[in-house]
Amino acid sequence: MTDARKGSASARKEGALGLALVLPPLLVLIFLIVVPAITAIIETLSPPAGTTTGLTFNTYAQVLGARIVRSDIIFSVDIALISVAVVFCLSYPLALYLRFAQGRLPALFAVLFTIPLFVPVVIASFAMITFLVNHGLISTMLYRLGIARFPSLVYNATGIVLTQVWASIPFAVLILGAGLQSIDDALIDGARDVGAGPLRTFVSIILPLNAIPTMITLTLLFISIFGSFTIPYLVGGNAPQMLGVTMTNYLTQYFRRTEAVTMAVIAFIIAAAVGAIYVTSVSRRERNLL
Amino acid sequence: MSGPWYWAIGGLRRAVALGAFCALAAFILGPLFTLLLWAVAGSWLFPNLLPEFSLKWWAYVVGNSDVLKAIKMSFLSAPVATLLSAVICIPAAYAFARLDFPGRRALLLSFLSANAFPKIGLYISIATLFYRLNLMDTFAGVVLIQIVNTLLFMIWIPTGTFRGINRNLEEAARDVGAGSLRTFFQITLPIALPGIIVALLFAFLAAFDEAQGTLIVGTPNHMTMPVLMYTLVLSYPQPVGAVFSVLLSLPSLIFLLLAQRYLRAGYLAAGYSL
Repeated sequence: MTDARKGSASARKEGALGLALVLPPLLVLIFLIVVPAITAIIETLSPPAGTTTGLTFNTYAQVLGARIVRSDIIFSVDIALISVAVVFCLSYPLALYLRFAQGRLPALFAVLFTIPLFVPVVIASFAMITFLVNHGLISTMLYRLGIARFPSLVYNATGIVLTQVWASIPFAVLILGAGLQSIDDALIDGARDVGAGPLRTFVSIILPLNAIPTMITLTLLFISIFGSFTIPYLVGGNAPQMLGVTMTNYLTQYFRRTEAVTMAVIAFIIAAAVGAIYVTSVSRRERNLL
Repeated sequence: MSGPWYWAIGGLRRAVALGAFCALAAFILGPLFTLLLWAVAGSWLFPNLLPEFSLKWWAYVVGNSDVLKAIKMSFLSAPVATLLSAVICIPAAYAFARLDFPGRRALLLSFLSANAFPKIGLYISIATLFYRLNLMDTFAGVVLIQIVNTLLFMIWIPTGTFRGINRNLEEAARDVGAGSLRTFFQITLPIALPGIIVALLFAFLAAFDEAQGTLIVGTPNHMTMPVLMYTLVLSYPQPVGAVFSVLLSLPSLIFLLLAQRYLRAGYLAAGYSL
């Protein structure tokens, strides 16, 4: 009854207040994300000054025509895919273990896996270098064990993947774990009561119920690794480079801004395809919450 | 028969878990441990297992004027970015959780867009905008870049926290005559405080640790500690980078210890259940 009496005037007032409160961060978002993204796209599509008006894909043709840029794009996608796969294979069992195991060891695991969350990625990269580099701690220990020859672990793709995995584990376990936490114990007990073993329970109850958090984790991991700079810059080799390093070099070393922005837009497009999956998953879940 | 068989499986399972724990611990702690050893090393020659202990590089790092400048810049910009984003985001988070307005769902989701872009591409686009606005190599530019990283934490964690508060408590306060503002400050805000503290903590760490954007927008005169790290890693002896890493980790470590009781897995997970 009160709702009916409240009437449209107060509902309108609430709506206006809501919008007013949301406006400031929204303006920041528009200024720092929407405007730069749009101006970047416009800049890359407009023809050089003094020529005809209209749109041109010249900068794209030029950038994608460079063999080095193409191989950097492929290298970035490969590194992102391999890192996501490794992170997932480590994080999913760990998240499952933390959800269902009890005792002191899981509690220690829970402390251990969050540590990289509190280490700035610049430090993580440097720590990884001191650990993995030739004549570093790993190579010293292998040498002491009588192994003097082994593949180089840093300043190449292996180093990038290992460091990405190190830095991404907490994030992956936390999102996957939050999803697993929300699965009702009653469902699992129910499955067990009708005779399902652990594997069956996992495949037919846990996996489908946790599908959306899993999608979210995979896409966010892909985007963040694909668009990373610090780890490939410090831990990677000279060629091929990941796209983030190439872009930054074009901007700050060669002062070729248009090419750098063009690469940024290409990276947006690749990530947008992946990000679409992410937003769809979240919005499907948010619809149930709001 | 079932006894020994059961114990064999149970023992095996425990052994596997323990082995996995040791492997993960070596992988996660190994690099950090090596870094700490380097920070107290005068020199460390291959193939010695331990370095030669010395604190001489500490004097070198602390006496360096670039280092002091970067420390000052970090401790000015990160708190400013965190507080600014708290001031603009917390009321918005309250609105997202409690008020009904057109486009609420779409607007809340739009804050995910910061995460849906590859960060480095975004920073490069921002840099081209900042060139035009003369924000390159300014304090304001550095703060704005850091705010990009704080928005998501400051909107989504408090929204989740406000949403989780029982409305009955607020309605009870209103029934005994408290106005909206009084209800918010005396009932809602204190209950939401742990969630807000976690959000502030993550926002601060995100702002403090930001390196890529600040490198592009802030060089050469507005370098923060993580940006200086790039130079130290690439062109100084190992112990210099290690000593500076320890300095750079201190704020995170201190915050972690101070906020320990708010950082139980529940809140951490809530912050990440986007």
